[in-house]
Amino acid sequence: MIRTEEMLLNVGPQHPSTHGVFRLVVKVEGEIIREATPVIGYLHRGTEKLAEDLQYTQIIPYTDRMDYLSAMTNNYVICHAVETIVGLEVPERAEYLRVIAMELGRIASHLVWYGTYLLDLGATSPFLYAFREREAIINLLNELCGARLTFNYMRIGGVKWDAPEGWIDKVREFIPYMREQLDGYHGFISGNEIFLNRVKGIGQYTQEEAIQYSLSGANLRCTGVDYDIRKVEPYSIYDRFDFDVPVGETGDAWARYKCRMGEIEESLKILEQAVEQIPEEGKVLGKVPRIIKAPKGEVYVRIESPRGEIGCYIASDNKKSPYRLKFRRPSFYNLQILPKLLEGENMANLVTILGGVDIVLGEVDG
Amino acid sequence: MEWMMELLKSPPGLSNLSTFLILTLPVLSIVLGFVTYAILAERKVLGYMQLRYGPNRTGGRFGLLQTVADVLKLLIKEDTRPKEADRPLFILAPVIAFVPSFMVLAVIPYTESVMFANIGVGLLYFIAISGLTTVGMLTAGWASNNKYALMGGMRSAAQMISYEIPLLMALVGVVLFAGSLNLVEIVEQQQYIPYILLQPIGFIIFFIAATAELNRTPFDLPEAESELIAGYHVEYSGFRFAFFMLAEYVYLFAMSALITVLYLGGWNPIIGLGFIPDLVWFGIKFSILVFVFMWVRATLPRIRPDQLMEFGWKVLLPVAMLNIFLSAILKEIFF
Amino acid sequence: MKGITKGLAHTLRNMSKKKMSYQYPDEPVPMPDRFRGIQKFYPEKCIVCNQCVNICPTDCIQLTGKKHPDPDRKGRIIETYDINFEICILCDLCTEVCPTEAIVMTNNFELADYSRDELFKDLQWLDENDTNVREEN
Ligand code: SF4
Ligand code: SF4
Repeated sequence: MIRTEEMLLNVGPQHPSTHGVFRLVVKVEGEIIREATPVIGYLHRGTEKLAEDLQYTQIIPYTDRMDYLSAMTNNYVICHAVETIVGLEVPERAEYLRVIAMELGRIASHLVWYGTYLLDLGATSPFLYAFREREAIINLLNELCGARLTFNYMRIGGVKWDAPEGWIDKVREFIPYMREQLDGYHGFISGNEIFLNRVKGIGQYTQEEAIQYSLSGANLRCTGVDYDIRKVEPYSIYDRFDFDVPVGETGDAWARYKCRMGEIEESLKILEQAVEQIPEEGKVLGKVPRIIKAPKGEVYVRIESPRGEIGCYIASDNKKSPYRLKFRRPSFYNLQILPKLLEGENMANLVTILGGVDIVLGEVDG
Repeated sequence: MEWMMELLKSPPGLSNLSTFLILTLPVLSIVLGFVTYAILAERKVLGYMQLRYGPNRTGGRFGLLQTVADVLKLLIKEDTRPKEADRPLFILAPVIAFVPSFMVLAVIPYTESVMFANIGVGLLYFIAISGLTTVGMLTAGWASNNKYALMGGMRSAAQMISYEIPLLMALVGVVLFAGSLNLVEIVEQQQYIPYILLQPIGFIIFFIAATAELNRTPFDLPEAESELIAGYHVEYSGFRFAFFMLAEYVYLFAMSALITVLYLGGWNPIIGLGFIPDLVWFGIKFSILVFVFMWVRATLPRIRPDQLMEFGWKVLLPVAMLNIFLSAILKEIFF
Repeated sequence: MKGITKGLAHTLRNMSKKKMSYQYPDEPVPMPDRFRGIQKFYPEKCIVCNQCVNICPTDCIQLTGKKHPDPDRKGRIIETYDINFEICILCDLCTEVCPTEAIVMTNNFELADYSRDELFKDLQWLDENDTNVREEN
């Protein structure tokens, strides 16, 4: 008597390819996935609730820990929200420093993605190559703000430190170096037939689906939607830079790969212009009251993080801490399409798809 | 060799059995020595390719004792066994996986004088015995009572079936040219031209299929750590796990030696450089192969199971057949 | 095959490139001056203004003050000052708000210990932690 049965498989919470503590309950028939249910919350720390008891400045270090791969953008979104609701001016030099730090962070974040994605696909070396470049970025940011991962660099109304001496020049030198390495990556893996076979046509979705699922970032752009908040709704000083938004067509893992790699290049372009334009001298912290109280009201701001649209909503009732704080965390929204993508796929594509969505569990769980 | 023959003809008995067992010890120690340093070499090569140093703390600057320390650690580790595991099979599996890997070493000729068994169908013996290891993996996968392990075991069985065939087909070319299945004769036939030059297609097919047989990147699906965590040996620990590791590296040794013998002309020197001893020649060719295996591992991502099957059946197999055909024509015309 | 060959060439080229490993436990990793390590505390500078306690996002600073022993002088002096490094996130806010630079950062970051109790650093410990003190604060 031969009889087949569906098998329930727990992928995670301890699994090397879930990029953190993430659990996926999959029903498999042979190696074909019939149903996948993501289980999240293992890393939930209640940032939003904690923030209700914190002063605005105190919230900033907490945001470092959400999307820990690009803490700078998180720092920015909370500062930006408070500045908007209070109506604070940010000095020009501070804005440039912020942009430089954020773009460096974006490159570092995409590098981690690139390395870990290929690690998921079984190639070990790209991970270490990507981390060499990331190390260079981390060292730059370490010099700038004194931490390697949880920067806590931005302050409401500006930034904590001015750039140390010679730092801008170091960034300038880093740009051509990174370009060269990026070419190396493309030569190394982007043309590799095994890699192409594994990502082309995998995890495909259409524009409509992407929009319906509220995807953002490279996950949205890979389907051909030209939507980057830096362009659509320029915040900070992004309207002063000339850069393109890499857009894919096919909406599969390969298009996502190309979009992200393209974004590194565009970030380098922005950096190049930023280090040229940055004013030589100037204050880095605007006029800020000693105790920041947001006036009664609410505000929502959104910016483009490496993973998509990160938003911050503040409802305030004229106190030192927000009445309610809410982050729109892009990884969380992007994750929702996962069950649909996995249905009917081969087990081996699970990591390709999951990795391609690029989630950071600190952000998913908040 | 005289006394060896006598020994073989002597009546079975406890004392003879122990003599035989003791006689295998030198081979075992050589192979274990190789495995120790092959693991170290692999880690070093991977390390250097990945901008690191590899092991460099235990045993001097070059980490010479690292593997020894690792093995010691494995030996003194607790031997855990899943509660619901199939106990006899669980214990048997590492043995089934390891023993054939060691048995195949018997037929490999290193030089004219350094060899252990010179049997007429050496090549066939090698391939037949090495296929047994998969049974061990499948058993391990089944007995662990773990879903990941089961998948790993199944994958390894499927992979073995699909790649054993092109592997054998590629060999037919060599056999056609040499007119023998005896490994020594095959080497002697390559005195002037190694078969890699006569059989380039066959060599490539054989190399690819061998990588698949060895479960090495890009064909390491049975133990794909990012998908199946560690595949069939996920539940093994301590020295049972060490057995699987050992089998893997002994096969690396055996396969590299076999390719050296079949395609690179074994111990035959490059013409004009005959003053270098045979064993050194064998060693050089062999090391190059081992290095290539490691190099490939450092570079390539893993192939997907369905693509692996497709590649095996739709690409390798037809090409291997074509190779036989071409070899036959070549042989008819020129030799 | 072209992509694979290119990849193989890339890995081979990297074999002779400079290695990136830090020789960490053997050689200390140089950290930039701004690096946020463990704090150093100057008891004589502290005016017990409590600002650091108020700004700390994780509430890990505890301090008590007492009256100045010299009755002619006003103000208070510090009596106990503890930082609980189990929960300190090294966010730099305490050193930022301190008006007298009584609490400053150092570049020392090796906090590992065998017991959690060891991570509870008191005034004396923080005072003695006086190497690699950060210059700008
Ligand atoms: S560094 Fe931050 S968490 Fe640590 S004691 Fe200072 S304010 Fe508190
Ligand atoms: S802020 Fe400075 S002066 Fe005030 S209590 Fe803290 S350490 Fe003392």
